[in-house]
Amino acid sequence: MQNNKNDENNFEILNQFRPERTEILKALHSLQNANPQHYISSDAMKAVAKYFNITLGQVYGIVTYYSMFSTKPRGKYIIRLCKSPVCYMKGSFNLKNYLEEHLQLTASTENISADGLFTIETTECLGHCEQAPAMMVNNTIYSNLTREKIDEILHALKTNNYEL
Amino acid sequence: MSEYVTIQINDKPIVAKKGDNLLKVARENGFEIPGLCYHPRLSPTGACRLCVVKIAGVQGLVMSCTVQVTDGMNVIAFDEELERNRRHTLAYLLAEHNEEYDATYVDEFKPLIEKYQLLNTKERPIQSFWQNIPRVIDDTSPVLTYDSSKCIRCFRCIKACEELQGKGVLSFADRGIQKYIVAGLANWGDSECDGCGECIQLCPTGAIVEKPNREVIDVNKIQRKVITSCPYCGVGCQIEVWVQDNKIVRINGVEDVSPNYGRLCVKGRFGYQYANHKERLTQPLVRKNGKLVPTTWEEALTIVAQKFAEIKQKYGNKALAGYSSAKCSNEDNYIFQKFIRIAFGNNNVDYCTRLCHASTVAAMIRSLGDGAGSNSIEDFETTDCLIVIGNNIIETHPVTATFIKRGKQKGQKIIVIDPKWTPLVKYADIFLQPRLATDVALLNGMMYVIIKNDLINKSFIEQRIEGGWETFKQLEKVVMKYTPDIVEKITGVPEKLFSEAAIMYATAPTAMIATGMGMSQQTVGTNNVFALLNMCLITGQIGRERCGVNPPRGQNNVQGATDVGASPIMYPGYIPVTNEEIRKKVADIWQVPFEQLDPNPGLTTLEIMDAAHERKVKAMYIMGENPVVTDPNQLHTIEALQNLEFLIVQDIFMTETAAYAHVVLPATSLFEKDGTVVNSDRRVLRLRKAIVSDKNIWPDWKIIVEIANRMSINIGNYNNEEEIWNEIRQVAPIMSGISYERIDKQGIQWPCWHEQHPGTSTLYTEKFNTLTGKAKIYPVEYQEQSEKPSVEFPLVMNSGRILYQYHSATMTRKSEVLNTFANESYVLIHPEDAQKYNISNHAKVKVVSPRGELTTKAIISDEVLPGEVFMPWHFHEAPVNALTRNEKDPISKIAPFKYSVVRIELV
Repeated sequence: MQNNKNDENNFEILNQFRPERTEILKALHSLQNANPQHYISSDAMKAVAKYFNITLGQVYGIVTYYSMFSTKPRGKYIIRLCKSPVCYMKGSFNLKNYLEEHLQLTASTENISADGLFTIETTECLGHCEQAPAMMVNNTIYSNLTREKIDEILHALKTNNYEL
Repeated sequence: MSEYVTIQINDKPIVAKKGDNLLKVARENGFEIPGLCYHPRLSPTGACRLCVVKIAGVQGLVMSCTVQVTDGMNVIAFDEELERNRRHTLAYLLAEHNEEYDATYVDEFKPLIEKYQLLNTKERPIQSFWQNIPRVIDDTSPVLTYDSSKCIRCFRCIKACEELQGKGVLSFADRGIQKYIVAGLANWGDSECDGCGECIQLCPTGAIVEKPNREVIDVNKIQRKVITSCPYCGVGCQIEVWVQDNKIVRINGVEDVSPNYGRLCVKGRFGYQYANHKERLTQPLVRKNGKLVPTTWEEALTIVAQKFAEIKQKYGNKALAGYSSAKCSNEDNYIFQKFIRIAFGNNNVDYCTRLCHASTVAAMIRSLGDGAGSNSIEDFETTDCLIVIGNNIIETHPVTATFIKRGKQKGQKIIVIDPKWTPLVKYADIFLQPRLATDVALLNGMMYVIIKNDLINKSFIEQRIEGGWETFKQLEKVVMKYTPDIVEKITGVPEKLFSEAAIMYATAPTAMIATGMGMSQQTVGTNNVFALLNMCLITGQIGRERCGVNPPRGQNNVQGATDVGASPIMYPGYIPVTNEEIRKKVADIWQVPFEQLDPNPGLTTLEIMDAAHERKVKAMYIMGENPVVTDPNQLHTIEALQNLEFLIVQDIFMTETAAYAHVVLPATSLFEKDGTVVNSDRRVLRLRKAIVSDKNIWPDWKIIVEIANRMSINIGNYNNEEEIWNEIRQVAPIMSGISYERIDKQGIQWPCWHEQHPGTSTLYTEKFNTLTGKAKIYPVEYQEQSEKPSVEFPLVMNSGRILYQYHSATMTRKSEVLNTFANESYVLIHPEDAQKYNISNHAKVKVVSPRGELTTKAIISDEVLPGEVFMPWHFHEAPVNALTRNEKDPISKIAPFKYSVVRIELV
């Protein structure tokens, strides 16, 4: 019953929402966005269950249904590479291999690069087919991707002088 | 009256209720349409697609489980195309399905695979690919294992948990073909799941399977499945007991039978291990040279008979007394009280009801004329507003609570009144948390609000209350002193909350009350219930369907034991022992001289113990009770038992009380019994022998008869339980119409006056059962407790029960499953008090009262109010009744288990 610091932060976020079911998704987004590792922790899910008076299973069901939510910590930068047909035809598969090799990281929500900076995920169409292949890093879209362009982006992200 | 429609299925005309489920109707009429996701107790899902049919005028194939029948509907349930379609769908389902089978569950897939000739995997239209789908196995629950490779995502478990049990613990995780069932954060053992097993019972394909006995059970080797009543609380759930090698290996709820309609709780489903436990008493014991040693029945019974006769002769009739048992059948209890009244020649027979709802019964009999719940358990779902006061109903009557949770889903208003947070608060519209023992003030305050807002029911008061308006005016004079500010000060409940609650209750079209131990187990217990009844009467929320007051009973036969006369003041059927005419009638049936029956009321439970302590009662016969753990003031109880010249204890285990006995007699457990019990809503239910007991273990009634025979006293000779029951029907008119035959499938609620009488689902719809036929109002004032917190004992201790253990835990602690959930004593203490007394969470602490002390573990929790602590009383190693006191409620003689001053020290 005793609240710890994390719990206090979670409830501070939750208190911005009315405790009604229609607010759950918005609240989950806020919790995930507030987490530096871009995920919804067990504590956060427990807080959601308590705040909205629903069960843990129901929260878990919602979180795992949507691919934008994660129950596992992710890198500071989440690279979401488009795997839809147009990007695929324009070589996104090769770019995925390149990214994986470059960052020594298999594309999966559960993996983080050793420096804690990156997670690679694949995603459905980002709506930038005319500039395929495309990817999204956190909230920014990059298109007309080539290996060189990826090198550039990664370098910028690593040296932390890139505005996201 | 329901409207009926005529439909056609494959040219066969069928009459059905309008709106009924088409699949259900078809199956009831012999059309065995396949289906895996449909279950008659659940809302239709339409997930498996096996139940497709053709309906004239509707395009394509329709899933019959999602269709309601309408007049003139023309259905084709079977033709070649439908069967081909079903075979293909089944093959699809099978392709995603792991078909390993270990015969520990009933697989609904198997018969379909045979029927659709899919046994040969090579001949299937789609080849198996379940191996390519990520497999999730959750084995963390103490009661079940989930395996996604056997799951067909049919929703049955999710709906069982949500719709039937009202818990909503289960959900789908992930999406698409990989989706699987989760509880909690994908960890069943660490979720809100309380182990009721409803999902196991409803899983069609073995994805959720039962854990206990998995190594033992073989569904092909089940000897018998016996339907009987659950041995635990007073809901009276009907259970189907599976027996293999004369051992209970599984229990399911009986589908479609009241009062539980298939639902069970964790104790009912998994708490059966005690019946086959190695510690069961299997032979009589007698005390020789200070030690209990095994002996023959002949010797034990002869000693008992001689001792009883000797003590009666030496000290007179009044020196003997008996405790009957709420765990035994009606037949056992009836024979027990008959034995006491004839062989002992007094009325010193009582049992644990005195420590339970005695005050409720006392108030209800005075006010309404009957000491039983006025409604049916089903009404908890359909009433518009429900007050649950002093009753942790989700934990103590879990299946009754399922009706409430279902009611909530349909918009029922729920008001919880309890000094301690209970799980029902999650479902409540209003939660009032008064300080301990301030109930009368709170209820009077609520009546103040009702009167001030003119929400009383004037016509009800005039027509159905004795003294009508005059009486009401007397009550008004008392309650108008309880102004909101005074009530707020006494109870700590904000005016706004109790006003809202009062108005919600008074204005509801129908409203019911469930009252529990929190109200009754106080020195003002009877007054508490009077106050509650007063509120109920002035608002007219009684005497109609779905209105009334109900005390859910704690034990499987606590209702029945009093019904059949285990009472110092009543003969079977609630007839006062002082009534000469009745005594004559009973003496006639019992074939004893009328003068032999004592016309004076006997001693109540605690009075018997007091008399033993004072050496006035010299011999006691205790059947199926454990007063050392369950009576208040343990030291006093132990001294009393030690002061007895002769004590016999008849039980299924060597209990803490049996340790003080001179003779211990082994009796049958509920699973080894035939007979009847009465549940909380007055429903007479059958007990049926599921397992055969050791031949050295006898039915309780038989032991009693054999003792009487050896005392040369005739209390009747019976060949079986049914003969005893038929005698009860003669003595107790309320049971007259209830025969074994009539309750073979469904129980009947008393009063039931003759064999054509349907029984009575709601009491008082026409008149109250008082002499005048009208209800009585007894205005009551709030009284302060004689025991008050002090510098030495600054806290007040409340006691109660938890879901996973039961009373003195003689039965439940034999269950590994229940012990895995909870097997440790604790004391709940508010964070403020924890800080004040420097107690950390999980610290080992000593709890000390003026009577005694115990050691337990502190749990810091805001479930209790500051200044109050709570302890469950199931654990003999931390005996809560070492702390309680045996002061009594002056009217009902109940003890204040809910209020003892204590202090808490770090050990």
